[in-house]
This record gives sequence, structure tokens and C-alpha cells, in this order.
Amino acid sequence: MKHEDRFDLPQGTLDLLIMRVVALGPIHGYAIAQRIQQMSREALQVQQGSLYPALHRLEYKKLLAASWQSSETGREAKFYELTARGRAHLKAETENWKRLTGVVGLILKGTVEGIS
Amino acid sequence: MSWLGRLFARKRLEMELDKELRFHFETQVADKVRGGVPESEARRLTRLEFGGIDQIKEDCRESRGTMGLESTLQDLRYGLRQLRRSPGFAVTVLLTLALGIGANSAIFTLVNAILLHSLPVTDPKTLIRIGDKNDCCISDQWNDTGDYSLFSTETYSMFRKSLSEFEELAATASFYGGGPLTVRRAGPDTVAKSMVGTFVSGNYFRVFGLSPAAGRFFVDADDQKGAPITAVMSYDAWRQDYAGDPSVVGSTFYMNGKPATIIGIAPKGFYGDRIDTNPPNYFLPMHAMDAVIGAAFFTDPDKRWAYIIGRVKPGTSLPALQAKASGLLRQQFAGLNSFADPRAQKALPRTHVVLSPGGAGIQSMQAGYKDHLKLLQWIAALVLLVACANIANLLLVRGMSRRAEFSVRSALGAQRSRIVRQLLRESVVLSGLGGLLGLAVSYLGAHALLALAFPDQHNMPVIASPSARVIGFAFALSLVTGVLFGLAPALMAARTRPAEALRSNSRTIAHGASFLQRGLVVLQAALSLVLLVAAGLFAQSLSKAEGVNMKLDSTNRSIAHINPQGAGYKTTEVEPLYQTIVERFHSIPGVLKVGVSTYTPMEANDWNSGVKVQGDPDLNKTASWVKCTPEYFDAVGTHVVRGRGFTLQDTMNALPVAVVNQEFVRQFLGNRNPIGHRFGFDDPLHPGTDGAHEIVGVVEDTTYTSIYWKNHAMYFLPLTQPAGMRAPGDPDQSVYAGAIVIETSHAVPGLEKIVADTLASINPNLNIVKFQTFQQQINDRFTEERMISRLTSLFGLLALLLAAIGLYGVTAYTVVRRTAEIGIRMALGAERSSVIGTVMRGAMLQAVAGLAIGIPVAIFCVRYVKSQLYEITSVNLQVMIIAVGVLALAAALASIIPARRAASIDPVRALRIE
Repeated sequence: MKHEDRFDLPQGTLDLLIMRVVALGPIHGYAIAQRIQQMSREALQVQQGSLYPALHRLEYKKLLAASWQSSETGREAKFYELTARGRAHLKAETENWKRLTGVVGLILKGTVEGIS
Repeated sequence: MSWLGRLFARKRLEMELDKELRFHFETQVADKVRGGVPESEARRLTRLEFGGIDQIKEDCRESRGTMGLESTLQDLRYGLRQLRRSPGFAVTVLLTLALGIGANSAIFTLVNAILLHSLPVTDPKTLIRIGDKNDCCISDQWNDTGDYSLFSTETYSMFRKSLSEFEELAATASFYGGGPLTVRRAGPDTVAKSMVGTFVSGNYFRVFGLSPAAGRFFVDADDQKGAPITAVMSYDAWRQDYAGDPSVVGSTFYMNGKPATIIGIAPKGFYGDRIDTNPPNYFLPMHAMDAVIGAAFFTDPDKRWAYIIGRVKPGTSLPALQAKASGLLRQQFAGLNSFADPRAQKALPRTHVVLSPGGAGIQSMQAGYKDHLKLLQWIAALVLLVACANIANLLLVRGMSRRAEFSVRSALGAQRSRIVRQLLRESVVLSGLGGLLGLAVSYLGAHALLALAFPDQHNMPVIASPSARVIGFAFALSLVTGVLFGLAPALMAARTRPAEALRSNSRTIAHGASFLQRGLVVLQAALSLVLLVAAGLFAQSLSKAEGVNMKLDSTNRSIAHINPQGAGYKTTEVEPLYQTIVERFHSIPGVLKVGVSTYTPMEANDWNSGVKVQGDPDLNKTASWVKCTPEYFDAVGTHVVRGRGFTLQDTMNALPVAVVNQEFVRQFLGNRNPIGHRFGFDDPLHPGTDGAHEIVGVVEDTTYTSIYWKNHAMYFLPLTQPAGMRAPGDPDQSVYAGAIVIETSHAVPGLEKIVADTLASINPNLNIVKFQTFQQQINDRFTEERMISRLTSLFGLLALLLAAIGLYGVTAYTVVRRTAEIGIRMALGAERSSVIGTVMRGAMLQAVAGLAIGIPVAIFCVRYVKSQLYEITSVNLQVMIIAVGVLALAAALASIIPARRAASIDPVRALRIE
């Protein structure tokens, strides 16, 4: 494997990342994967096998809406965008995530200092 | 999009999913190509990165939510396709299920209809009957247990007056009709017909909360002394005999020659207060009983004839009510003549009644059939067990043999849970179909059972169509079977690791049938042996019962039942009638003997009385009695062993004589010479009544009523002589004959027509109530035994067949699994015969294990059916040998087919099999 520094995403994080990317404007699946890869500076490579089920799940939960539009290459692609509900959900989840990472980071920092 | 809409838009969604993923794929390839990778290489890399595209699709579908239903349909479709692909398996499973479930629901239909059925009346749960036994007819005997269920008119009035806890209390005759009722509608061109009538109190229909289909029901004024005779007709009689003609209500009908007004029609489906093979066509007020059938007992406080049923007021304590009713009865009995005897006085304090639920009506039919129906249910349940074992085995075999298929599928990315679910659904499809077929079988089966059990029934209120309850029962059964036995192989198959299973598919020798599979076959063999033994015992019991020496002769004898009272004859007019009958019948060519009697041997009838020999102490014993004409003994084939039979000189006013049977002599006279002794009833109020009849002859013990009635003491009186000493003004109903027995020199064709014409030539009102050959009448008495015997044989063979299929299945499976091994053996020089031997030995071993379990179980279980067998108390060697032989033969047949197939394996081809 060429990305030695890849790691597994905690459960539920992928949904958050997808919604964050989709929040920027209508976008198709391939571009979502690309964008996450870019934004994570190649640290995260989303597999198709996780991406599409997640997209479909979010669409089913009505957090995303989808429509067929022509892509930059002229082919028809399925574009996703956030629904109002999705936007609210993203906001709440982002807050949650920030609080969680803050708290976890706090604890981990303490432990590491205590050990070393 | 709605959930259902999604389902229907499935095709479009599938297309879109495909398009979306394809877009991703192509874009990724395009990006790589733009990055300088050659297109073919780019495609290869992308494909690698993508992994299983079908797996992704599956996961997408899974996350969409319609998964459950969508895959259910898919699984069902797939299941059906699989079944079509292996029709042998499908047909076997379906037949097994259909027969197993069908047999059970057929029996359950009958049980439901007879044992669990409530009367079709308002609120049957609040009906309470006074009494819990089914004593019949008319009795003035006290009993030792003190439990009474039959009551006199006087007791009924007393209960009605004193038991205010009852909202209403009705009385109903314990005997239906008291012999057939001859009914003719008034008017020209009407014919007299023999019908069933019954006598009830005036509030009968009110107690049941019924409303008439037409006209009105009785009011209390209709059921009073001197009231004009009225009658309510059953709905079935109204539809069938009078096509629902509304003018029937209000019109006059002659009942046994007495004019009666039909005031109303009972509601549809009402069959009276008990299940009977011939429910009453006419309900009459009980006060009309004496006028219509001559019922002196109606006003006699000693004569008990009625059942009492009513509705208690809400909140009544039943134990307190029972104690009160018992006390009242004791009080009343204390003053009766029939309790004057010192021994009766001693039994008097024990007098009591038991209140029983009346919602199902009088339970006489239920009591009679309960044991047999329960037995049949047990047997059917055992058959179902065998069937389930069979299905379990078949599903196991199938699950195993499809291991490779499942491995491939899970290697291709099918979820394990999906495979389990699919297998489960397949078995549910199977059991659902099996349940449907079973329902069809049970529908036909219940009809056949009913015809078998009650061949004489007429409008019997037992519906053979499966009720909702039965349908539910059948489906629950089939689903449980399917799920239970679909689950085991499904789990087993799903547990296999794909790679392992794919690898182990080739040449191994250890994989025969599993212990579970063999265990199931052994269980089946054991159960079928038990059922075969039961079948053998019941068959033997039937042949023993039918073969019993009944001391009669039925060859070329026919019996015509008649009703002279219904034809309008008075008690004083019957003597010349009988003379005419005997004369006219003798002039029919071929007729040898003509006997006229009250009833005949092996007929569902019995008249009995207390007997006291003059000069002896009262033994408080009863004997049955029959009145007959001189040729009667010859006509039924009873031999006179001592003294004489009756002669033409034993007329109405001649010296009262009697003939007794040998058992009578044994019980009442011991070693004394019976000829010349006198006997009669013991009536303390009328001294000397114990010398009413002088014994002039002794006959052998011809079987009357039933072969189960052993030591049946009987006496015979000349038809027209009075029975006992009669009080003046008490007309003797026993002078009315019920049957003509005709012996002919050969089988006379069309005898029934000749008899009917002869009777009509004597009096047009004299019709045949029932005509049968003597042999038919005897055969009818074995209907129940025959039904049980046939059904146990049927179920035994069914179980045997299923067990054979099971054994065949397991053996065939073993052979398939061992094809390669057998091929090697044969390549190394094994004989065909030794291969056959090996395979059959394996199969027979299971059969023997089944026998080892089945034989002791069968021997042990006989105790539970002993009471239903005729003079058989244990398994005898003959039955056991036949059962074991049949089972061994079936096992041999079931295993020889796969064994021969094994022996015909071509070593070269077997070795090539992967």
C-alpha cells in the first residue's frame, strides 16, 4: 500500500465528513471521495464500498437530496446536496465532534504527560 | 418516495445505482488515463481498487431500508425456483407435510366439532345443567353413588319453584323422541313419514335465548295439561321437507295420529340441546308427551326421564346452589315409593346432584366419543412427528448437499445472515404450501371421517369444513415445522467457512449421514412400529368383536322397523294386527319365519326392569326384556334349550308366561330348575306383583344391544301379554311392536319394496321406519370399532411410508456422499454384492435400532388403549411379528434402491467426480 499513514475512521465519522463536503454545494460521489482525500492531505482515502452505502443511507434518512445533472465531463452524474434537515444535523454533529475531540484530547494529553 | 413506492421503483433504483457506480468507475479510469497510465492498465487498477462491485450494490440496497420486503420477495421467488429445480425433494416434502398436517387437522376438525363445540345459543357459557351424567331414558332405580342426572316431572317443578338462583330452568327428554314419530301433514295427498321428535318444557327456547326463524316459540300456556298440541319444526326439516313454505306455520300436522299445530320454526343451525347423529325434526311441549307417545311416566313421581338445564343469575355461588339442589332432591326422594326399600333408604343420604357447564349441551355424544377421538388425536400427532422427522431429515440432507453452493455464494460476498434467511424462507415457503395442501387433505379427510364415523347421520350438526381455528392450527403447525427444521441446516450450512467448504468438497470418506440424521430415522422407525402395533391391535380387536359368537343367525334375515302407534293403532287393536302381519308375510314367496317384537338383537335399544323371583329375597337386580311373537326366536336364530318357546296360545288374556335366557337363570335361580318359577317386579305398594310371569322355557344368551354387555340377563314375554301386573287404567305401551324379523329361504331381491307394499296393504299409515338386513344391523353396531381400526391402519401405514422415505433419503444421501469412496473400493476389487451389503447393513441397522426402541414402547403403551380394545389386554406375538415384519420389509425396500445404485457406480467415473 502506498499510504502508510492511512487510518481507520471512527464509526459515524464518514457521514460527518461526507456532509461537510456536500455542504459546499451539489457534488457527485467520485468528487466527494476526491475532495475528502485532498482536504485530508491524502491521509484519508474513502473506499467506494463505504462511500456509496453511506450516501444511500444519508439519502434514505433525508439528510441528503440527490438529483441527476451533467458533470464537468458531460456525463450524467448523481449530485448530492444537503437538505435543511441535513444542514441542521451537520451543525449539531460538528459541535458534538468538536466537544468530543476537545475532551478526548484533554484527557489524552494529561495521560501522555503523566507517563512520560 | 414512499416505502411501497420505493419497492415498485426498484428497477429504476437498480438502474440508477448501476449508473452511479459506473460513472465513478469511468471517471476514476479517466483520471488515471489523464495521469499517464495506459487505459487497459487504468481499468485493471480501478477494478482492483473497487473490489466487489456487487458487494457495494448489496450494501447500498441494505442501507436503503426496503431491504426486508424486497429480499423477502426475492427469497420467495428464489425459493420457488429452487423447488422447481428439485421436484423430487419438493414433492416429497409437500406430500409429507400435506399428509401429516392433513391427518391432524382432519382429526382436529372432528374434535373441534364434537368435543369443543358450544350450542348455537345466546351466551352458552352461563348455561348450567343439573346433573353430570348421561343416564338415559326412563328410570325408577335408585343408585349407590347417589349421583342423579335424570329427574321426574315432579322434581323439575320443585326445582323450578325452589331454586330462585336460576333465572330459568328447562327440562328436556333424556331420550330423543321415545321412538320415531310418524308425522303427516293434514290435507289430501300427504304421506306419513317417520321423523325424530323430542319433548321439552315450555320455556325451552327461552332458556336458550333463541328467536324463531318463522312463527313463534312455546309460551307457558302451550305446555300445560289439556293445552292443544303444538310443535316447533326444525329449520332443516322445514327447508328439506317443505321447501321453507311459510304456510307450514299455523298448519295442522298429525303426530302419531294426533293433530298438532306447527307454531314456529327453530332458527337455522339449532340442533337441540345435544349433538346427535339424527337431531330432532320436531320439538313438542312435554305435556303433550302422554297424548302423542303414551307416557304414563310423565305424571309418576318415581319415574325419572328428564334432563334439566338453565341459566343461573349472575353472582350465584355454584357450590352453594349445588348443595341446596342436592338437599331439596334428598328431601323429595325420601317420600318416594322407589326409596321405600331399606337399602334405598341407606343410600338416600348420599343423594346429590352435580352442577355441570351446559354450554355444550348434554354431553352424551361427547362422552361416547371422547376416548376414541383422543386416541385418534394421539395417533395423528405421532404421524405428524414422523412427518416432521422426515422433513427435518430432507432439509438437513438438502442443506448439506448445498454446502458448496453456499460457500460459493458467500465467497462472492453474500451475507451470512442473508443465506440463513433465504434457507429459512425456503422452508417457510415449503411449509406454507404444505399447510395449504394439508388443509385440502383435512377438508376431504374430515368428510371421509364423518362418513366413516356416522354412516347413519342425517343433518348431524357437525360441520366437516375446517373452521378458522382449524386453519390456524394447520398453519401454525406447518410454520413451526418449517422454521424449526429449516433453521438447523441453515445455521449449519452458514457456519461453514467458504474456503474450507470449497476445499473439502472433493475426495473424503468420512462424510456419511450425520448422527442427527440417523437418529431421526431411528425415531421414525420406532414411532411407526408403535403405530403399526396399534393398527394390528385394533384390527385384531375388531375381528375378535365381529367374530364373537352372538348366538343368533343373520343369514337371509331382514328386519323392518315399524311404528303401529304412529299409524294410529290403540293398545287393544294390536293383537289382530300382529296376526294379520304374520299371515300376510307368510304368503310372500320364500318367507320361512316371521317374528314380531319390541326390538331385536344387536340393536341400539334396551328395555329393562327390576326382577324379583317369587319367594326369593329381592336381589335389587335388573334384567332386560323383549316382547315377541311365537316365531321370533326362530326368526333371529335363538335356540330354545329347555322347556318351550311361545305358541299361538300365549295370547293377551291367556296365562302370563315368560321365557328367560341362561344368564337370567344363572343370576336369579342358580341351580334350580327354572321351569315353573314365577317372577315379576317388586312393588311394595302392590303385593304379589313379583309373581306376574311364569317361566315356561329357557333360551341361549343371544347378544342384545352390544357385545360389550357381558352377563346380560334377559327375559322374553309374549308380545300382547302385559308386562308385570298393571294397575287398571294404565295402558301398556309395551304391546306396540317395533320390529318385524323376516327369515327367507334365499336372498329375495327387492324385499324392502315387497315388505313396504305388504304393510301398506294392511294399513296405508303403516310405513317402514327402517329396513335393513339383519347383518347390516349387526355391522352398524361395529361402526366405531371399524372406524378406529381403519384409521389406525391408515395412520400406521402412513407412518411406515414416511419412515421408509426417511430411510431411503438418508441412505441415498450416504451413497451420494460416498460415491468416490465406493468407486475406489470397487476399483480395488470390491464385489457388487459386498457394496450392496455394506449399504443395506447401514440402513437395516437403523431399522433395528428403531425396533429396539419401538418394541418396548409399544408393549408399554398398550395399557393406555386397553379399555378401547375388545378382550385384548397386551400385545400378542402375532401382531408384533407382523408389525416387525412389515417394518423390516419396508426398510429393506427403502434401502435396496440406493444400495443397487451404489453397486452400479462406475469406478472410473466415480473417481473423476469432484
